[in-house]
Amino acid sequence: MTFSWSQAVAWLPVLPLAAAALVPIVAQRNARAAGGFTFVVTLLTAALAVALTIRLVAEGPLTVHLGGWVAPYGIELRFDRLGAWSAPLATFFALVVPFAWRYLEGSVPRERWAAFYALMLLNLGGLIGFSLTVDLFNLFLAMEVVSISSYALVAVAGRGTAAWAALKYLLLGSVSSLLVLFAVALLFALTGSLNLFDVAARLAASEPSPAATLALASLAVAFVVKAALFPLHVWLPDAHAIAPSPVSAVLSGLVVKIGIVGLVRVMQLAGESGIALDVFSELLMLLGAVAIVMGAFLAIFQDDIKLMLAYSTISNIGYIVLGLGLAVPFAVSGALVHVFNHALIKVTLFLAAGSIIHQTGLRTLTDLRGVGRTLPQTCAAMTLGAMAIVGLPPTAGFISKWYIGLGAFSAGRVAYGFALVFGALFVFIYYVRMLNTFYFQRATREEVVAAVEPPWSMRGPVIALAAACLIVGLFGGILLAFITPAVGELLAAMGS
Amino acid sequence: MVLFGVDVDYLAFVVLFCVGLYMLVRKSNLLKKLLGLNVMETAVFAFLVTAGMIEGADPPIRTAGTGPLFANPIPHAMVLTGIVVAVSVTAVALALIVQIHAHYGTIEVDELKGLP
Amino acid sequence: MEVLDLRPLLAPLVSFACAALVVVARKNVFWRRFWSLCAAVLKLVVVLSMLPGTLAGAVYHTPVITLSPGVSIAFRADAYGLFFALVTSTLWVVTTIYAIGYMERAEQRARFFGFFAVCVSTTVGIAFAENLLTLLIFFELLTVATYPLVVHAETPEALRAGRIYLTYTMAGGAFVLAGSLMTLSAAGTLSFAHAGILGLDAGRATLAVIFMALVIGFGVKAAIMPLHGWLPIAMVAPTPVSALLHAVAVVKAGVFGITRVIYNVFGADLLGELGFASYLGALAACTILVASVMALRQDQLKRRLAYSTISQLAVAVLAASLLTPLAALAAVVHLANQAFAKITMFFGTGAVREMTGKTHASQLAGIGRQMPYTMGAFTVAALSFVGLPLFAGFKTKWYLSLGALHADAWWFLVVMLLSSLLNAAYWFPIIHRAYYGQRVAQPERSGRRQGAGLDVDRDAAGATAASAGGKREAPLVLLVPTLICAAYVILLGTTAAVPGMPTSIALIAVYETFGLAGPVR
Repeated sequence: MTFSWSQAVAWLPVLPLAAAALVPIVAQRNARAAGGFTFVVTLLTAALAVALTIRLVAEGPLTVHLGGWVAPYGIELRFDRLGAWSAPLATFFALVVPFAWRYLEGSVPRERWAAFYALMLLNLGGLIGFSLTVDLFNLFLAMEVVSISSYALVAVAGRGTAAWAALKYLLLGSVSSLLVLFAVALLFALTGSLNLFDVAARLAASEPSPAATLALASLAVAFVVKAALFPLHVWLPDAHAIAPSPVSAVLSGLVVKIGIVGLVRVMQLAGESGIALDVFSELLMLLGAVAIVMGAFLAIFQDDIKLMLAYSTISNIGYIVLGLGLAVPFAVSGALVHVFNHALIKVTLFLAAGSIIHQTGLRTLTDLRGVGRTLPQTCAAMTLGAMAIVGLPPTAGFISKWYIGLGAFSAGRVAYGFALVFGALFVFIYYVRMLNTFYFQRATREEVVAAVEPPWSMRGPVIALAAACLIVGLFGGILLAFITPAVGELLAAMGS
Repeated sequence: MVLFGVDVDYLAFVVLFCVGLYMLVRKSNLLKKLLGLNVMETAVFAFLVTAGMIEGADPPIRTAGTGPLFANPIPHAMVLTGIVVAVSVTAVALALIVQIHAHYGTIEVDELKGLP
Repeated sequence: MEVLDLRPLLAPLVSFACAALVVVARKNVFWRRFWSLCAAVLKLVVVLSMLPGTLAGAVYHTPVITLSPGVSIAFRADAYGLFFALVTSTLWVVTTIYAIGYMERAEQRARFFGFFAVCVSTTVGIAFAENLLTLLIFFELLTVATYPLVVHAETPEALRAGRIYLTYTMAGGAFVLAGSLMTLSAAGTLSFAHAGILGLDAGRATLAVIFMALVIGFGVKAAIMPLHGWLPIAMVAPTPVSALLHAVAVVKAGVFGITRVIYNVFGADLLGELGFASYLGALAACTILVASVMALRQDQLKRRLAYSTISQLAVAVLAASLLTPLAALAAVVHLANQAFAKITMFFGTGAVREMTGKTHASQLAGIGRQMPYTMGAFTVAALSFVGLPLFAGFKTKWYLSLGALHADAWWFLVVMLLSSLLNAAYWFPIIHRAYYGQRVAQPERSGRRQGAGLDVDRDAAGATAASAGGKREAPLVLLVPTLICAAYVILLGTTAAVPGMPTSIALIAVYETFGLAGPVR
């Protein structure tokens, strides 16, 4: 069989999933080697995804039908501009995994390393699969792969508190998964098809039925839970704060985005099938605006730096959802760019926070006073990340805030525009508190005074990510130009 | 059979789903919560299989004796896969409950809430 | 005549690079000072090199990155921008020298001078911003870069002041962001233009919201009442920082922003039609008087200076809001006049505090005989504020009054007169007491230079001389910048029409803005 780029699309999710099965075998010889192996796999996946992205820009979307069955009967994977999200996904994993090498030494028992790396690969495979598939049932399956591996990753450090946080996450997560399955079943019962675009076309051809609306609504609710949109966020803070830092980075930066990608799929489905989304959009905007403020507000009262970062995720999901709900070109582009930017920034922040926790053994602001002087590089990265998440120019966060805000104002939604712009101020209050303790207060703990910068396998990714926060801020126009055609298609379908 | 204008199969599904949801939300015992989740899963599976049913059709296994009408096989495949997923989730949840019990000595949510 | 040139970008970049080098040098005193000075001097050189071209009518511009159509990061050195850049970069050189002397024994000097240099960079970035986005970026960067300077002492009081400062300025930044976004969606572009970029077709209500958002946003930094709360509190910062905040960078960035909004975003014609500017003018007039009265009641010198600043800034805002060429000219030259006079006062106050530990107006009896040069400079600045002819402040009042008459705003003359009287009322007693006051027998609080126990020879001599009421002048590194600024105040007041002097650039800026061909009448 000759090589074709379309076939390579199928390899993208399969590569990490298959490698996950091999991790325990590698780990039997040497637990460290499992880390190296995982890194190589993530790197290969990232390289493949980047190659496909270049291909995509040159030639347009790539599709593959698994098992050779043609759509609508076969399972279709589509590498389009939305599916290109898998490239940053794999890249972030390739940065998180080397960070985890040394981090695990202090926080996860050695016999669980193999499980950790295998779960990370499963998670990556699931995430990629989720962003590529246009088959509704496979969407559910990929989501479950991600969810189950996430539940396990939260608990991987092995303490009872982690297990309790993981179980809370699991119970709510499973209900939302069930809703997805129910919606898929309902859509199948209505149309006899599972391919997203085929389903939409058949829905459009048939009489509008409340059942179809019910299916879309339950899909939307399910994804809103996965995205931890306020007020369905309750599972998130504990799970993200208690997990080991590399896991927190993945969960907070990447896994919650499943909900967002899912919402985009719902918008596609609704748009192509001609089901009006007005009420839904209004609700998204309202909840998004509330989430921006509430997430930031709740974060102010946290003393634990990871808990603080977890709450800020809720606030940032608010930005994205608000942008999607506005359903005008600038806002949706800004929202999708923020899917990437928030991932970048949040991974930076969690890894930097992880470095600080790993080097000092402390995790509350009260204890970490003066740490900026002993860990200057890590704290500088943290500062840059904080500036980016607040959306100060010229960092990555500013770009997304700018475009979402522009969308809000140009759509005449002045109130939402102001909510967005001023919500960020709330966010700023707690980051100022963090920077004050890091830089402008005297150390009170000996651990802080004695701390040294982490090893390069941890410091390297953190510095690279922090630099990226700045670079993306300066060249954010490229991201925007990349995503704009996809947004145009999405909105054109919704407008018809 | 049709009841209140809705197929009774679907009503059964709704009732089952609500029973599961009630257990999940109201019960304090983690194991009972998990059982509630399982009941909800079963409800959805039942709905899925029902969706593929065709009145008077044969099972979708092609032998010499099957007629022209046979049930849609795709829901069956989906349910089988779904059961596998559900079993995995249950397994992970049970493992977590065991760990919680080992650490806190209880699996009652009311008691867990007060603990650090 | 537009000229593609790298220098508008180079000016902020140079200082930024030097800031990085300051931090790299860290403990090495010589290199740290060298790079700090480099940041200030190199930038001044770059800005000065553009001066001949600007006088000849050239406008240098540098596009950097286009984000999306109509939105880019770009720099453009028009006459107004160059005027502002020239004022700040001249002042920065002297402030840096002063700061090196003042901060000799402070902690964390690498951080201090690093951020000090970043502030230079961002201020010039504001001056040369081609559009609202670029202006906003540097505006926010300025906030971030001044924060470590405000909280430099790291005391709970300083941290509290820093928090208040940030709350105000970040909220201001958010308003500017909102205003910029609305401008972009209404006008389709953000680039400043002489006739403004917004049109009546955007709708009166929308324009009102945009105007309010932008004016509140910049008004926070310009400390227009009631948005001035942060300024007196931020006085806990070291004196060079206060000078920087109050005379050079932060507050001036606010005023600069407001004038940009009035003339280059809305345009004088549109605003005249809408009538929003008169509300702003009324607010500014109130600020002038109320802040002056507040200043009267302050005994602590730095707080009195703070309220004086608030009042003086409002003069510039009021001038800008009159929308006539002569008043606009007054607004522009006032940027320089107020800056040089105010910084002289800050330097003087800082020197007095350094040498004697005195911080309150009531303690200054006899200080004029102890520190004649310092207080001489202080007096020059005070006379300028009162508005006596031959001093810089007179120029502002002269153009302003003419402009006001053109605009038929006679009430403005009353405000000006009252303001002059109030200025006299709060500066002259200090000067009188300094020269003629009898030293009250009160326990001598020692200055930092005495307490530190260094500079033994001077201190030993100073301690005896001070008790005898003899001379005890500030060290040269503090005195020379003070005198230079005082000299500038007189220079600005006497050389209005000389080509190449700041007023001539201000004139060009006003010609450009109003599309006039001849001299302003």
